[in-house]
Amino acid sequence: MYNIVKNEWQALIHNKRLTGLLGGITLLLVVIAYFGVQDARIGQDKKQQAKEQIRQQWESIGDYNPHGAAHFGTYTFKPTTALTALDNGINNTVGTVLQLEGHRQNEIIHSPDSQSLMQSRFGTLKPAVVLQFIIPLLLIFLAFASVSSEKEQGRLKLLVMQGVSTRKLLFAKAISYWIIGVGILILALGIQLMLFAGDLHADIVYRMLLLFLFYSLFYWIVCAVTVYLSAALKNNTAALTSMLALWVIWAIFLPKIAGAISEETHPLPSRQAFSTAMQEDRSKGIDGHNPLSEQEEKLKDSILQVYNVETVDDLPINFDGLVMQADEDFGSKVWDKHFGALDAILEQQKKTFQWSGLINPFASLQSLSMGLAGTDNWHHTHFKQEAETYRRVFIKTLNDKHAYGGSKTGDWGWTTDQEFYNSVADFDYETPYIKHALPVYKTDMALMGLWFFGSFFLLLFGKSKNTLS
Amino acid sequence: MIQVHQVTKSYKNFIALNDINLNISKGEIYALLGPNGAGKTTTINLILGFLAPDSGSISVAGLNPSKNKTDVRKTMAYIPENVSLYPHLSGIENLDYFCKLTGLKYGNNALRGFLNQCGLQEEAHQKKIAGYSKGMRQKVGIAIALAKNASVLLLDEPASGLDPSASSELSALLKKLATDGTTILMASHDLFRVRETANRIGILNQGKLVKELDAKSVSANDLESIYLNFMKN
Repeated sequence: MYNIVKNEWQALIHNKRLTGLLGGITLLLVVIAYFGVQDARIGQDKKQQAKEQIRQQWESIGDYNPHGAAHFGTYTFKPTTALTALDNGINNTVGTVLQLEGHRQNEIIHSPDSQSLMQSRFGTLKPAVVLQFIIPLLLIFLAFASVSSEKEQGRLKLLVMQGVSTRKLLFAKAISYWIIGVGILILALGIQLMLFAGDLHADIVYRMLLLFLFYSLFYWIVCAVTVYLSAALKNNTAALTSMLALWVIWAIFLPKIAGAISEETHPLPSRQAFSTAMQEDRSKGIDGHNPLSEQEEKLKDSILQVYNVETVDDLPINFDGLVMQADEDFGSKVWDKHFGALDAILEQQKKTFQWSGLINPFASLQSLSMGLAGTDNWHHTHFKQEAETYRRVFIKTLNDKHAYGGSKTGDWGWTTDQEFYNSVADFDYETPYIKHALPVYKTDMALMGLWFFGSFFLLLFGKSKNTLS
Repeated sequence: MIQVHQVTKSYKNFIALNDINLNISKGEIYALLGPNGAGKTTTINLILGFLAPDSGSISVAGLNPSKNKTDVRKTMAYIPENVSLYPHLSGIENLDYFCKLTGLKYGNNALRGFLNQCGLQEEAHQKKIAGYSKGMRQKVGIAIALAKNASVLLLDEPASGLDPSASSELSALLKKLATDGTTILMASHDLFRVRETANRIGILNQGKLVKELDAKSVSANDLESIYLNFMKN
């Protein structure tokens, strides 16, 4: 088998066109990876600077009213890592910056795609686009004639007469091109690791290793199927056109069809309907800025009873702070209800899409790539929920200070000192460890494994009358 | 050495071989003579084990090539009409590669020896196959057979496309191999070359072996008359 692999590589080196193509694509990948990392570094530095500036502003807010500080709020940013530089998934679409403030849950903003004049299917060119779309195409172009040319040139019978079984030949051919794909993959991941060397930790390394594993499996599937078709079909042209058609179906048509089926079977509400439903539910609760609401009256009665006073002016605490917090609590319930329902639909859509991996290994690869890079919807939701959890604690801290800090009802000019604001912890988001995220991708991993073994057995047992005709 | 007993082979509704019997002894050169479509290549493919007969039996050194493919192919070598080797390798590199596929590792001197035995000039050994003539490539093909120590050699239209000088060299080489004990079956429609090279000739027409004769017992003109007579009938 080693001799066949070596011979394939020697033939490749002597084929100037293919060598040029391989070299060109590898160079493209290196350039994209390098500039992608530089771009990510700039983004990371800007986020860090913005974070420090915002914290500095918070820590120099001086004597300030807590309710005013709640409206001042803070900002939080999705982290940039070696992985996001490799595959930025949905981040360019959904954004990476979130403002946290009182009374409202904002949407994540700063989506580069929404500001870009160049809307394309592939978005910003990241290494993942090259690794997912272009490298498999390259492998197809390298491997499509691997067996059919032996048939067309009349060498196949000579090889068989030398004791080379068809099975051994197919495996050796597939391995020779798979190694090239894996080599390019190592180069791409190596660049990411090297240029982010100072910011690596164990979780990123584990994720990189898993990325390497699944991309390698996918490249094996492409090589094995291409070599099989090269053996099974009558000639080079048939092998190439069939494999290209399969690539187009896998990479372009099936994901669109799977997406459409997911949306059809688990439809999301329209933006308008969603906003209207949230506003409707919100209006049933306490409005912190409307002192005439019914719910506020009920709250007032219960607090007056607790403190055994007649009017809110007699309370030893600031009733306004309690109203603010009740408003927040109700708003949180409404948010949990509607966004919870939305997230449940998105989860169902994802599961439906994941199952399309049964007929399309490319779908599993994309899902795993974004998941392991931490740039898919699951990680986006995790960031959103963690940020919301922090926001609630942040706002409650400020509202409690407003209520119990020493001010009286109606005293909107009351302030507390800088020391209190410094004690409010900043939000430090950490991407969840991969071991917590992996169960989300078990379908993708299982289907990728199935395709790997399937393609393996295809070479082992797949028969064709064309192989030795 | 090679026995073909009442073999019939059809492709869908077309009978390619009809009740063929062949018996080729060790060290014999047997030529299958016939026009295109007579069944010569089918016969070779059946003996090589690439096809299985519909009926009848084939045996090579006592083994069935359809059932004992691996063992039979260890003893056989095949030279197709166009010996296509790897253009990016030289003659000696091609020989080395094909030897390694069978698990044989020869040093450079041994490899050169095989090529010299086949009449390939020394200066050609290191040149890329892409620059070889058909005759030169055939010599490398035969060198592969020698290196493999094949006791049976099958050739399909070996003289096709060769100039008289190269054709004559090939005949001489095959005779030498036969003298050394190699059993040779060659398929051809070159009457002259077949008579010059073979010990026995079988005339194949429309899937039937219509005549077998001793190559030296018939003149070239007689052979031509016999052949054309059978073709007309």
